[in-house]
Amino acid sequence: MQRDLRLHNVGRRYGLRGPWVLRGVHLTVPPGTLIRVEGANGTGKSTLLRLLARLDAPSEGRITGRPRTAYVPERFPTALPFTALGYLTHLGTVHGLSRPAATRAAHEHLDRFGATAHARTPMAQLSKGSSQKVAVAQALLADPELLVLDEAWTGLDAAARAELERAVAERTAAGTAVVFVDHDPRRLAGAPDATYTVHAGGLDRRTGQESAPPTGPHTTVVVQGPRGAGLPAEATRIATRTDEPTPGIHRLTVPASHSDIVLRALLTARPPWHVVSVSQETPDPSEAESRR
Amino acid sequence: MTALLCYQAALLLRSQRWLPPFILYAVFLAVGVQGGQPILDSLGYAAAALLPVAAWLVRICVTNEPPAARSCVSAAVGPGRAHLAALLVALGAAAMLGTVTIVVVTLVSDPASADHQTRVPRLPAGAAGLLAALACALLGTAVGALTTWPLLRSTGRAVPAMLLAALLSVVVTGSPAQAAVSGLVTGSRSGTVPLPVLPLAAAALLTAAAIAAACALTSRRSP
Repeated sequence: MQRDLRLHNVGRRYGLRGPWVLRGVHLTVPPGTLIRVEGANGTGKSTLLRLLARLDAPSEGRITGRPRTAYVPERFPTALPFTALGYLTHLGTVHGLSRPAATRAAHEHLDRFGATAHARTPMAQLSKGSSQKVAVAQALLADPELLVLDEAWTGLDAAARAELERAVAERTAAGTAVVFVDHDPRRLAGAPDATYTVHAGGLDRRTGQESAPPTGPHTTVVVQGPRGAGLPAEATRIATRTDEPTPGIHRLTVPASHSDIVLRALLTARPPWHVVSVSQETPDPSEAESRR
Repeated sequence: MTALLCYQAALLLRSQRWLPPFILYAVFLAVGVQGGQPILDSLGYAAAALLPVAAWLVRICVTNEPPAARSCVSAAVGPGRAHLAALLVALGAAAMLGTVTIVVVTLVSDPASADHQTRVPRLPAGAAGLLAALACALLGTAVGALTTWPLLRSTGRAVPAMLLAALLSVVVTGSPAQAAVSGLVTGSRSGTVPLPVLPLAAAALLTAAAIAAACALTSRRSP
């Protein structure tokens, strides 16, 4: 089965004579890529994500490839007659897990996003943030092949936001394609393989993002390698900056969300690398203030 | 698909929105069906009243899930299958309600023709009633599927359209539900038990077409 999702000259409009929301979109989403979609409000970002998740059929053009998909909507309703755990267990089985596996995964993901206390709470009584955690957990339950996140970070607390970034990093490292929209420019800064801008109904690939310095939180990893060995390919791919201050000692600057993935790549390399230090880069305070 | 049906069934059951149509149907039967009445007449009445109930249940199942939650499920299984599960759960609920009702009506009614002269055997009469009820449940599902999202979105248009279509399906000659019900009523006059297999088959075909059309449209209409 072809896992690459491809959009061929896709257009979408609502109704038979409605205005075109998107037109002439070509996009390929190979496994393991992280794609960011940008654009002003109402330009059709959500429509593009709905097309990618195969929720909407294109009005013209065609879409090929049908990876196992999970979708996180921007606003998740609480008007469901289940407890958080009950809903996640149902969704786990819908995603193809067995019932015991679904229950286990539901517990795991509620715990991961700090919502274990709400496991038995009826969905109708959850706060906006807590129900967004349920929406996120729902998507991660069954290790999808394509993860579509429509402003999934909105409403989450700081710990859950960071956890979701790490979960995205983990999933992409495991081969899941992730497409996301978020209005915070620091979201997974430096990590996306491609950034697209939806503009006037079309899709432009943004180039030259390397010239702008990545602005999100970064982690500096200093490692010592076997004599003469090059850094593992995965580590160099993720790192936004690498240098060799002294021979044999490498310093990598990686997006904070991806530090675990880089460390795993380094430690499981054959022969393994020695981690000398891991430190968090403190973001520039002036930039932190401009953050929304 | 099993997981999907379980999810939709749990959604219907826990939402408790099935209560109004069930209660209204019970009231309707309590008014129209009494113990000791001619069996085929009562069965015809019970089957005919099931049609709008089935349509209502479809409306409940389809509108039960908030659009964002539907999107989550649709992404996993495809929007067509997600919609199919909702329609099948509504059909299943209507069929179950119909079966229970037919059994009760068969047991409490007088096994005789309309003029209480000819004996009508209980078991074949019950079987005929069951087939007629299933035909009505199927056709009601078709009416419901064609008068709710994704075909009609605004409640203001959908509800009157559903009620009108349900009424016409029961009374207009040529409708499988009307054929099945009138078969029972005329059978009651002559004291012979009809077997409404043809109406049931026609209703099944119509419903399959309606469901297929509704499911195919799910990804083409806005949520």
